[in-house]
Amino acid sequence: MLPFHYTRAGDIAEALRILSRDEGATLIAGGTDLVTLMRDGIRAASHLVDVNGLGLDEIHWLPEGGVRIGALCRNAVDDARLRREYPVLAEALRSGASPQIRNRASVGGNLLQQTRCTYFRLPEFACNRRTPGAGCSAIEGDSHLQAIFGASPQCTAVHPSDFSVALQALDAVVLTEGTRGRRRIPVDDFFRLPGTTPHLTTELRRDELVVGVELPGGPLAARSHYVKFRERASYAFALVSAAVAVEVRGGTVRSARVALGGVAAKPWRSPAAEEALIGRPLDEEAAAAAGDAAARGARPQRHNGYKVELVRRVVRQALSELG
Amino acid sequence: MTVAIGEPVRRVEARDKVTGGARYTEDVRAADTAYAALVGSAISAGRVRSIDARQAERAPGVLTVITHTNRPDFAAQPPTPYTAEGRMPLADDRIHYAGQYIAVVVAETQEQADHAATLVQADYQRTSPVPTLDAALPAAYIPRQNGLVRFPSEYRRGHAETALAASPVRLEQEYRTATLSHAPMEPSSTLAYWEGDRLTIYDSSQAVHTHRALVATAFGLPEDRVRMISSFVGGGFGNKSFAWPHVFIAPMAARVVRRPVRVTISRKQVFTGTGHMAATVQAVRLGADREGRLRALIHDSTNQTSFIDDRQEGAAGTTPYMYAIPDVYARMRVAKVSTGTGGAMRTPGDSAGAFALESALDELAYKIGMDPVELRRRNHADTDPVSGRPWSGKRLLACYEQAAERFGWDRRKAEPGSMRDGDDLVGYGMAGGQRMEHQSRARATVHLSDEGTAVIRSSTVEIGGGGLTTLSQVAAEGLGLPVGAVTFEHGDTDLPASSPTFGSLTSGSAGSAVRLAAQDALRAAIELAVGDRRSPLHGADPDDVVAHESGLRLRDRPDRAESYRELLRRNRVNSLRGDGDFQPAGETAGYAMATFGAHFTEVRINRHLPRVRVVRHVAAFSIGRVLNARTARNQAQGGIIMRLGAALMESQRPDPVSGRFISPALTDYHVPVNADIGEVDVLFVGEPDTNANPLGARGLGEISAVGICASVANAVYHATGRRVRSLPITPDKLL
Repeated sequence: MLPFHYTRAGDIAEALRILSRDEGATLIAGGTDLVTLMRDGIRAASHLVDVNGLGLDEIHWLPEGGVRIGALCRNAVDDARLRREYPVLAEALRSGASPQIRNRASVGGNLLQQTRCTYFRLPEFACNRRTPGAGCSAIEGDSHLQAIFGASPQCTAVHPSDFSVALQALDAVVLTEGTRGRRRIPVDDFFRLPGTTPHLTTELRRDELVVGVELPGGPLAARSHYVKFRERASYAFALVSAAVAVEVRGGTVRSARVALGGVAAKPWRSPAAEEALIGRPLDEEAAAAAGDAAARGARPQRHNGYKVELVRRVVRQALSELG
Repeated sequence: MTVAIGEPVRRVEARDKVTGGARYTEDVRAADTAYAALVGSAISAGRVRSIDARQAERAPGVLTVITHTNRPDFAAQPPTPYTAEGRMPLADDRIHYAGQYIAVVVAETQEQADHAATLVQADYQRTSPVPTLDAALPAAYIPRQNGLVRFPSEYRRGHAETALAASPVRLEQEYRTATLSHAPMEPSSTLAYWEGDRLTIYDSSQAVHTHRALVATAFGLPEDRVRMISSFVGGGFGNKSFAWPHVFIAPMAARVVRRPVRVTISRKQVFTGTGHMAATVQAVRLGADREGRLRALIHDSTNQTSFIDDRQEGAAGTTPYMYAIPDVYARMRVAKVSTGTGGAMRTPGDSAGAFALESALDELAYKIGMDPVELRRRNHADTDPVSGRPWSGKRLLACYEQAAERFGWDRRKAEPGSMRDGDDLVGYGMAGGQRMEHQSRARATVHLSDEGTAVIRSSTVEIGGGGLTTLSQVAAEGLGLPVGAVTFEHGDTDLPASSPTFGSLTSGSAGSAVRLAAQDALRAAIELAVGDRRSPLHGADPDDVVAHESGLRLRDRPDRAESYRELLRRNRVNSLRGDGDFQPAGETAGYAMATFGAHFTEVRINRHLPRVRVVRHVAAFSIGRVLNARTARNQAQGGIIMRLGAALMESQRPDPVSGRFISPALTDYHVPVNADIGEVDVLFVGEPDTNANPLGARGLGEISAVGICASVANAVYHATGRRVRSLPITPDKLL
């Protein structure tokens, strides 16, 4: 680990000031990802700006419907109303990491956590995400955990977050604050696909920080569900996960959201799966159709063809359990 | 007589361990210690063209950077197998595997050393690595017979090929096991300091006397100039059975900087610097008649090894001993891969081998329509098929019977896929297990004090198996003391040399030494009493005097008794010393010795999302006398859970291009979490087996981890109709 400066920021302005002044500065909240990255020589921050003193740790219910979750709420957030009104969110959070990590990790940090791609995490391998232009060892390497959607010849890594998959299914908005003001970024826009610039993983600017996420109100969220499939019962990243939300009126699906985890560099929204559900009863047949639609267009690598079938099944399972 | 052996006594060190009082190697402090960080190779094959250490040397706190160009010479290459690698660290410019140490940075603090290590620049000349066992297979060969290969690589009785061709039922399959990491909680640590030409070395070692000898050889010292101490080991599972490179690096660096030097390997280096269980490919060919009598068996295993060493994973080693089969051929080969040298990992050879053989037997059972338990019963080896000798205490049939009953095997419907519960496919599977019992010379002393207490002195190491507790019970019973009156000095070469704490040697060998020592101390006490006019036992026949409630008494006259305390104080004797020196009878014993087990597993697999859940596992073991019902159960559960990991999730995957392990972290190298473990039920069918040794106990640690993978795979087949012959059985193999 390289030596670094440390500042505990007193307010957002101070944190932003350091970020804009020092190229090598980075924020630290829970540190559950950043510390590992620094220890492993993946990130070399010259200045850590501790934001744990900034507040931003409240759940605020909006009068016009919806809820705002502060960026420094911990992943262990346990709120009865949230569980009731946004079950997919509560389930996704609970399925992540371990209790110890959830107690420590922040909501903002969850969005910004780095991929678990082993070729990114081991500095001995070439990685375009770590060092732009260096090449990607994963292309010829072991691809059993890599992306089947949205990958590029420069990067095949997947986003590890469960929480973000739920946000994607809930049409969440990421709230940021920067030296140039505040922004509201729809979660689908917040995360980037690798393309030719895999080192740019989100729309967040250098001199900007995430202050919270906002979830809209409305009927979709109440009937929502998260299914995470992994190699062991707990404490593992998803092989494939699905967040689904469905609004059924008069016996047929009026609107639907299907988002996938473990398959792309961002939480992967599947409009095709959503369309497959619209206008029909939410039954086994619809669930299977949505699963098939979700898997369409997948481009597996050498070792991860199994993920395509898993997408079918996980989506079907999530919708069946919902129905 | 106090009955201590077998009692479910709580671990004697339990309180220290849960309160932080237990001192592990990393906890030991020495004044003026410097800290080393080990720089690993970024490539997996080639040479170091040059190393630029100038920036590292200028970094804050750095004392020195040692590389192959400036290292002091070792006096000699100490012998294998317990020197893990047949190449001393930093020997030359050659790179054999990713992560091989190429430089040692020594600094005032660990953080400074770690930082400077990142500044060491190496220039490499790359050559083509052999990344995987598959790539190496065509060049597989019978390993060179040297210290690394302790057991023969080939075995033949009869003419297996001919008998196979003549068998009415034949089966031929290939099975694969993955590279596995020991992944102990405690990364290996070594603290070394010199006082003149005396070397003291604290090391997280499973065998201090064994490893001391290696260190002494490496530094050209007589053994008595080296003291090695290993108080507690925070999990080894075999990776601390060997002296890995860091063990030699610490004293070398301490000599260079003339200060104590601490080397604690990083979590990543646990996966690359202290061995692994090598991946295997095993071909099994079985011939049988239609009644399920085995006629021929060929078991041909190849494991990966490093370019430095030929280390055999003895997967077919126990095969010839297991069943009454007239014609058997077993062979083990190695294939060189650009990876580190493998080590012994619970359970060397047998865990991997049993997966193949016991899976094949299950396949045969289905093929001929026979219950898998019955198939094994029919082929039970009543005597050792290799030597023809009688077994010492083999109760494998009782293991099958009792475990099957406890499990409810009679509820099994034979047809695969026929048992369901909602969306769950339910499968029952079983397998047997066997491990040859080894013995080792072990010494101990027991001092009986005038306080009525006893001290065991023996270099055995507590690696988590409960040895301090069970050996205390042995001494307590021998002297008629409560277990709480026995203390233990352990894990130090200044103490009498015990057996190494690996290979399931503790109960049989170390236990026998303690028993002999306790008997010797008792004999001394009896002699003192019968020769002492003031003793109520004066003049008695020593054979009539027994230990009883912290003292002695006449066997048939409870009123003629006195305490050790009275006896010793009256005679102004502070303590009586008993010596125990257990010498294995070995080949002259007249008995074949092994431990045996039977496993029964229930799996449940959601038919949509097929992750195998082991909801119930019942195992029965034949290990002779059980020294402590609590620690034994605990140890067996641990062995079973460890292998459930190997069955379902553990795999240290090599990068297919470089061969570098891609899961050198506990996040990525999956071992079971609590939620993965269902009911694990353990039975012991044994009775004291005094043919094996004076104590009547055989080892448990190793046998507890043999046969589980096959039992799980067999249950998966029963649940799904799908035969998985390649471990681990991950969901992708069941879609």
